[in-house]
Amino acid sequence: MASVRLRGIRKIYGDNPVIKGVDLDIDDGQFVVFVGPSGCGKSTLLRMIAGLEDITDGTLELGGVVSNTVEPARRGIAMVFQSYALYPHMTVAENMGFALKLAKVPKAEIEARVTRAAEILQIAHLLARKPKALSGGQRQRVAIGRAIVRKPEVFLFDEPLSNLDAALRAQTRVELARLHKELKATMIYVTHDQVEAMTLGQKIVVFNGGRIEQVGTPLELYERPANLFVAGFLGSPRMNTFPATLAGHTGGLATVRVPGGGLVQVAADASRAQAGAALTLGVRPEHVRLAPDGDTGIPGRLALAEYLGDVTLAYVQVDGVDGMVAAKCPPDAPVPAPGSPVRLRFDPARAWLFGEDGAALPVLRERVAAAG
Amino acid sequence: MNRSGSFWTVAGIACAVLLAALWAFPLLWALSTSLRPELETVSPQFHWLPQAWTLDAYRKTLGAGNVVRWLVNSFVVALSVTVVTMAISLMAAYAFSQLRFRGRGVVFGIAMLGFLLPFEALLVPLFRTMHQLGLINSYAGIVLPQVVAPVVIYVFKGFFDAIPADFREAAVMDGAGPLRVLWSVYLPISGNIVWAMAIVTFIAAWNNFLWPFIIVTSNDMMTIPLGLTQTYDAFGVRYAQLMAAALLGALPVALAYVLFQRRVTQGFLAASGLK
Amino acid sequence: MRRDTITATTPTGPHPTTARRETLPAWLLLAPFLVAFGLFFFVPALETLWLSLTESSLTRTSAFVGLANYHTLLNDPSFWDSVGNTFYFSLLTVIPLCAVGLLMAMLVDRFAGAGGWLQGTFFLPFVLPISVMTLIADWMLQPSSGVVNHILGGERAWLADPHWALPAVAIGTIWWTVGFNMLLFLAGLHNIPAELYEAAALDGARGFTLFRTITWPALRPVATTALILQMIASLKVFGQTYILTSGGPFNTTRVALHYMYETAFTQSDAGYAAAVAMAFVAIVILLSLLQAWLVKWLAGRDA
Repeated sequence: MASVRLRGIRKIYGDNPVIKGVDLDIDDGQFVVFVGPSGCGKSTLLRMIAGLEDITDGTLELGGVVSNTVEPARRGIAMVFQSYALYPHMTVAENMGFALKLAKVPKAEIEARVTRAAEILQIAHLLARKPKALSGGQRQRVAIGRAIVRKPEVFLFDEPLSNLDAALRAQTRVELARLHKELKATMIYVTHDQVEAMTLGQKIVVFNGGRIEQVGTPLELYERPANLFVAGFLGSPRMNTFPATLAGHTGGLATVRVPGGGLVQVAADASRAQAGAALTLGVRPEHVRLAPDGDTGIPGRLALAEYLGDVTLAYVQVDGVDGMVAAKCPPDAPVPAPGSPVRLRFDPARAWLFGEDGAALPVLRERVAAAG
Repeated sequence: MNRSGSFWTVAGIACAVLLAALWAFPLLWALSTSLRPELETVSPQFHWLPQAWTLDAYRKTLGAGNVVRWLVNSFVVALSVTVVTMAISLMAAYAFSQLRFRGRGVVFGIAMLGFLLPFEALLVPLFRTMHQLGLINSYAGIVLPQVVAPVVIYVFKGFFDAIPADFREAAVMDGAGPLRVLWSVYLPISGNIVWAMAIVTFIAAWNNFLWPFIIVTSNDMMTIPLGLTQTYDAFGVRYAQLMAAALLGALPVALAYVLFQRRVTQGFLAASGLK
Repeated sequence: MRRDTITATTPTGPHPTTARRETLPAWLLLAPFLVAFGLFFFVPALETLWLSLTESSLTRTSAFVGLANYHTLLNDPSFWDSVGNTFYFSLLTVIPLCAVGLLMAMLVDRFAGAGGWLQGTFFLPFVLPISVMTLIADWMLQPSSGVVNHILGGERAWLADPHWALPAVAIGTIWWTVGFNMLLFLAGLHNIPAELYEAAALDGARGFTLFRTITWPALRPVATTALILQMIASLKVFGQTYILTSGGPFNTTRVALHYMYETAFTQSDAGYAAAVAMAFVAIVILLSLLQAWLVKWLAGRDA
């Protein structure tokens, strides 16, 4: 069984708490992505699972067995390092077979496993080369091959794509997904890139400041962020946020006062909030519509428009809001000239309200899965 | 090129030629002396080059028996010192650099105290210790104190520190214990500096005069630097033979330098990064 | 996320498991060095200290006499003479070694096309054993058949002359060890980015100006290091003076360490020799600290 269970995991460096209590379940065969800003602790957690860092407090269970003090090589885990860490003086074949050699696996079997892994990764023609004669992408595959050869229960990836250029990254993402399907192995993948997270993960764990902010499928996290951090972290351009004060609520609709003085409605349950509470209103750029000046909505001034061909990004300056509000418009939509006043409108079912603590206000009704 | 530039170039060339001649002269003169008959060396008629070329001096020197014996001793001693020093220094440097254990900083600090006290100050107690251990006038006696080399450990530790930790972690994940990591990962990666320090250590051990001088009491246990000083009395005023002996004594290390010039300079530079 | 009751039964507090796992191998790896270090450095060092407080012969330890040896030392003209000789030797060698070393480094750097030959010629003496140097020096300085007198004329017995013995040894030492300083300066020169020279050349700087405005400022730290290293190394001189002149004539070349050696092995007075050793070490440490402070002060001035 290749499941991973974390309970109450803490890590303290000196008197600096880096991981502040993590509980997590990873099932056999899942592809889980740890994502978060740099310094949030995701790499540290990965290394604790690997056994490269000590666990200050809490339990780590691998396949149902408490493994806090088990040596890394005995945990049934293989890791792909960000820098690949290929031994420079060994050939590709020797790199891949090193762990097996240490485990005193018979030579014939080492050869067989190495060849098989090399075939899967299409590097069989590189087996006699040394790492310095390989390109970045090839080195990365060797690093993965080194992990595959050990037939581990769990694969750990520490930002493996960050050293590759954009084109390679996209291609490798696809291959990693294919690899996962073929090997049917449990994979834990750390990245700071939310696009990677969204495309690769079956389950995403969002970290911030040593804590888990939310766990869920990509779509769950995108459409139902649990708090402001998750909402702002996933999605590009970022979700727009407006300071808002609660004006009233009826049933599943809350009414808030927005910058510019107007009132807008949001599909959220504000029953537990007080009138006048300072909330944050969040709307994703793809749900913001530009309306002519006379219309209802949040008033602003168009600052700049980026024509990307498949979409137009309009940036609007709104009084009372830091930074610019982004709106994604269809490519052929008319966009006013820079400097002109505009109004921003959105569907109440497509907006969120976040309390003072950042937590999202609950939504009573299901979101309307309408287009636009 | 303007006049000022060519002036400096010419001056530079003249300077270089002059200095090079000055520096090469003693050895060349020794060579010239060694290739002439004894009588010629003290003849009132001075000649730069031998009037009668002969290898007599070398034949007599090598035939005198002891020179060969001394060369052998030097080889044994220098090789032993190098191998042992490299082994224990690599292990210690690895422990200091990569392993976590309580008191690491303190022990390293104490080891580096070796820089503070000059070896010369310890001659008497070392002699007494060797006397008690019964190692006076023995290979072990000559070799052992020379294997303590904080410089080498310091250099290796510096290099090990600079190797990205990823390699060690990957090896740990592959199941390697500390010794394995040192042998299979750190050593191959540090190949160059290990060679450099090995050669430098060999040269230093070969050239060591002071300690063998103290510990060796019989003629046939002497190393070359020591033995050569005996030749003053042994050969009397036979300068051709003296020069032949000197050049023979210099040959191994000179060869080592010529063959490994880059490594030697690299090693000495690394070792001088501190006192 | 909720926490399970499982946490109540897990061990709390720091788990220094990695440290525990690595401690034993670490000590095993250190053991050979530590044994050698203890036996051949640490214990002898302590023993020197102890010996200096006793009256001992070379092989037997006798009575504890406290600071008596040190009292004798302070009033011993032979000791202070030897210290004076040592300083004189330093004076004769440190600056020439650094100056010539610098010159050589610049020449080697400039004529790098000589394919390592120039560097090799200057550095080769450094790898030679001391007795090679002394043999050749002795031969060259012979009064009647030595080549030096042939060139300079006269029949002076350099090594037997109280005024010239130490300087002669000093010159021999310069020939022998300048290569090391050259190496230091070479490394320093290589660290100067070529762009600095190019920019200065565009500004019209030539020759000596280049040296004054670019090379020397960049080399100052190296020069300081070289001076310090040389100073300390020169204090430890022993072999050359012992072999070439046996400390004579009339003890004019008897340096501090030679005096210590004589006391220990010729007069078999280990206790007093140990005191001499300790005093010597104290002087070296003092000078090192002085220079370290000087370096810091100079560096602070530059900043």
